[in-house]
Amino acid sequence: MTKETEYAIEVERLTKRYGELLAVNDISFTVRKGEVFAFLGVNGAGKTTTVEIIETIRTLTSGKVSLLGMDVTKRKRDIVTRIGVLPQGFNSFDRITVRETIQYYSRLFSCRNTDVDGLIELVDLKEKTKEQFKDLSGGLKQRLGIAVALVNDPEVVFLDEPTTGLDPRARREVWEVLLGLRKKGKTVFLTTHYMEEAELLADRVAIIAKGKIIAMDSPVQLIEDNANYMVLTLRSVEERASEIIRKIGFEPIHDNHSNIKIRLEHTDDVQKVLNAIKEGGTSFLGLDVRKPNLEEVFLKLTGETLHEDPAGERGAE
Amino acid sequence: MNLHVVVANLVVSIKSFYRDKTVVFFRIAFPVILILVFGTIFMERDNEIFNLDVQDLDQTTSSAQLVKTIGLSGRFKITQVAPAVNAAQYAKDKKRNLVLIIPKGFEESLMHRMGLDDPNAFVTLTEIHDPSSFGVTTKMQVLNMVLAGINQKMSGKPPFIKSAETSILTKKYRFIEFFVPGIIAMAVMTSSLFGAVNVNAELLQKGVIRKLSTTPITRTDWILSNVLYQFILAVLSTIVMLLVSYGVFKVSLVINAWLLVFVALDVFAFVGLGMILTRVAKEAESAAAAADALMFPMMFLSGTFFPVEMMPEFLQKFAKVLPLYYVNEGLRASMVSVDNTAALRYAAVIGIFAAVVFVLGIMITTLSEEAT
Repeated sequence: MTKETEYAIEVERLTKRYGELLAVNDISFTVRKGEVFAFLGVNGAGKTTTVEIIETIRTLTSGKVSLLGMDVTKRKRDIVTRIGVLPQGFNSFDRITVRETIQYYSRLFSCRNTDVDGLIELVDLKEKTKEQFKDLSGGLKQRLGIAVALVNDPEVVFLDEPTTGLDPRARREVWEVLLGLRKKGKTVFLTTHYMEEAELLADRVAIIAKGKIIAMDSPVQLIEDNANYMVLTLRSVEERASEIIRKIGFEPIHDNHSNIKIRLEHTDDVQKVLNAIKEGGTSFLGLDVRKPNLEEVFLKLTGETLHEDPAGERGAE
Repeated sequence: MNLHVVVANLVVSIKSFYRDKTVVFFRIAFPVILILVFGTIFMERDNEIFNLDVQDLDQTTSSAQLVKTIGLSGRFKITQVAPAVNAAQYAKDKKRNLVLIIPKGFEESLMHRMGLDDPNAFVTLTEIHDPSSFGVTTKMQVLNMVLAGINQKMSGKPPFIKSAETSILTKKYRFIEFFVPGIIAMAVMTSSLFGAVNVNAELLQKGVIRKLSTTPITRTDWILSNVLYQFILAVLSTIVMLLVSYGVFKVSLVINAWLLVFVALDVFAFVGLGMILTRVAKEAESAAAAADALMFPMMFLSGTFFPVEMMPEFLQKFAKVLPLYYVNEGLRASMVSVDNTAALRYAAVIGIFAAVVFVLGIMITTLSEEAT
């Protein structure tokens, strides 16, 4: 029997082992209906394993996972009809066209009312309906994958690394589609290692590292709680400016482009630094002051930087 | 089982098939080419007329009559070689594998034998041949048979020992009629085994199977649609092979329900084997290599291209553990000798093998976690 609940997903003390390897270590979280929830972590952190357990593809070692009130270990057949999945690096039958691919997946769900044209329009593939899958670029394949994930009008949509390997333009196009899903009120479970993506799309973010959830909240709150400071960036600054900044008690961080970043606790500190540089007789070409982003929060919490996996790169438009 | 899902898979598989010209070639055209090539080679051998170069050094009416008689046997097309030419050099230069030399004094010796009834009078015809040439032995055997016949006629007495051929088959069959069932069995095996291995391993590796595992498709739907697809291709390929065989070689084969039974069992057995290989090997390349390793011994040792009886005894025993042997023999029993009892026997053996392998294939195939 299906339990009525406000949560689309409930994960309780989930653990997954592969022999000696502990891939997911006793994690718990919930995802509300209509929420866009992002799972953030580096490659190998346990994101895909967790999402595949919820999608019923993988078995769990211990714990309890419910999807729309149904136990994922017992109700696979009922669950798959109510979810849509975009797996990491979506692939399909090479010689089947865009339209045929959507029709095929629609038939697998025995959906008679799938609005194939509507889905094609949603992912902006109208010009490509007769193209075979093998001829599509990476970005177009991902967009088709999203359309396929929606053929059964699912209540929960899982998107595993939907923009990995795409160029910035293709990535933004996919984001447009995801924002459309959000507007439609779908529950979206997104796994990503792109901070910008999580920050832009997610209502809540869970940061996972080494199989453990180490922080979970809205992007704004995560930043507020974990990075209550400002970052002053001075562009094309003279080298001796570092010495001056150190003298007034701040630690400058150099990047590869003669820029200096300084972490500041108070707004008054900005003026203090700028005055010191002016008095020291050094110059710079520009500056900006901003709040830290999720990337800095992630760095602070995990000690790891997020970067794109070159192996995951695919062609883009 | 969901019929909608099975049909959807079938449609995708068939579309993928006919849109890939390379696959169409290897599945349909390749077996046909094999039939045409081997059929042509062995068709000619059945009624082969050999080229024979003859050098008549005697240049008499009798020697000319001998050359004419050899020609009249219907087994040779004669080319005369000038007496002045060095026959061995001629054979080398013109790439002839056999030159027959009638010596000087042929007519004289003949007169001694016929006129004076001298039993010691004889003549030796020299056969200059290239032993490295394929088929020269057969050509020399045929020539010697013709010469023996001429000798017999010249003796003026009918032969004492005669032979009469009685075939165990109801009709006289040619090599091509034995060959076509073997090629059908082999083509169905190859396409089923490689079809199952390549398609499944590729889809597994590309993550399509993983995506499918998040849809309502079941393992039974997937496997059934795979088998149906391979069966449709096998029937199509068999029809094309038979049409070509009838059209080009005018084969005389019996088409009955056994043909469909053996094609279906061939498909089930080798799709099952393919599924096991895909599951065991995991990587597409290693699965294909494993399929090759299984397929080649079967192609050459199961009696597809030549009869098992031609092989050494230990290989004959080995042939009988190969599943393709039973499809080959079963198809020949039904299409050539029309022996229903034998066909049933062979069908039972391959049927048991197919059932075991297919069930095993279903048991170890999975669309979920372990498929990754």
